[in-house]
Amino acid sequence: MKKKHFYSHIVETSSISLSLGDMDLLQQERKDLLTLVEINMHKTIMDLVLSHLSAEDKKAFLLHVANDHHERIWNLLKEKTENIEEKIQKAANDLQKNLHKDIADAKKKQ
Amino acid sequence: MGSQRAQYTHLRDRWTQQHATLHGRLWEKHKEALEWMQKKSQHAAVGSLGAFMLFAMPGKQEFTMPKMLTANVSADIGKDIDKKAFVISDLSKIVPETVEPLSDSEEKQIANVFARYYGVNATAELEGKRLNRSYGYIGAEQHLKRFEGDTMEGHFDNPDDATKYYSSGMAPGRGAWGYFGTDEQAIQREKYYIAVQSFLSPGWQGNSKELYGFFKYRKMLVVNPQNGKAMVVVIGDAGPAAWTGKHLGGSPEVMKYLERVDGRQKGPVLYFFLDDPDDKIPLGPLPLADANV
Repeated sequence: MKKKHFYSHIVETSSISLSLGDMDLLQQERKDLLTLVEINMHKTIMDLVLSHLSAEDKKAFLLHVANDHHERIWNLLKEKTENIEEKIQKAANDLQKNLHKDIADAKKKQ
Repeated sequence: MGSQRAQYTHLRDRWTQQHATLHGRLWEKHKEALEWMQKKSQHAAVGSLGAFMLFAMPGKQEFTMPKMLTANVSADIGKDIDKKAFVISDLSKIVPETVEPLSDSEEKQIANVFARYYGVNATAELEGKRLNRSYGYIGAEQHLKRFEGDTMEGHFDNPDDATKYYSSGMAPGRGAWGYFGTDEQAIQREKYYIAVQSFLSPGWQGNSKELYGFFKYRKMLVVNPQNGKAMVVVIGDAGPAAWTGKHLGGSPEVMKYLERVDGRQKGPVLYFFLDDPDDKIPLGPLPLADANV
């Protein structure tokens, strides 16, 4: 099955899902929060990748994203950037750390 | 149950604000490429979830993709959350970090945001009259007696409201403007009322009679700037006292909808006069105006 996003194979967000699963949330509330996590992760990674591309390469990249051409995306990124996979993983991990901290803070709320 | 709800709203509000920041930064840094993609998308068959999630811009009309192409992906993401993120983001750029009186310029900018997102004309000053402030901490009020002999047992018009709001109790006396009455309009007014510091409003000392009449059941828009929830209410009582540190009060129904609480966790709201001369805007929750977002 095709992955949802071009970075889905290197970004793992199940720990967030599990943490939210520990909370006594309604199904819709959990879905709302996971939607926000997904959107925020997506925009974080898109910002990171676009920041490593030239003006013309940004357009090619966006076109591939819009058409879900994951193989072409990675060919482009491997040609035009260095260690982008590691950088994506680091940005995703940093965001997740903050999300876990937010969840821990929320659990202290009375 | 209350604490679980607080946990959810804490995370939702925090991550919605974070989204607004990320979105703004993304578009600020890569505007040219993203706008190019927007234009391209209007003519080409592009409809991936990844692209769809990119094209929503605070303060501007949301990018729309061909319906056929987006039907399968639009359900995957929280469109309502995006819309709320827009208004939260726009307000956060105007509202001061500390809860203090707004400047004329800030009030005008906020009125523009209200017009854009809620489709209503709301102003801090109407007919040359204004309250002591338009942004302040809201505290919890009790139910008010609508008529002589009104009791908690007979106050609610449906069992659901009785379950939700009975515990707030009823104030022993009447509101500053007397009894609301017994008809449907009175029920709505008592349900969706706020108490304002009318006694601190400019000109009150020399012209209290006229201002008293102006403020009576005056329709207002109250907005929680941290979650974008808006409600149309009336001024139904005077208060709270200045020494409380609070600037206005909300009925139990108002507080619950706006997700505001009293005490140490009290939070601010924006409260502007609603210019609705033909009385067309109903009291109660005001949704975001789809056409303008």
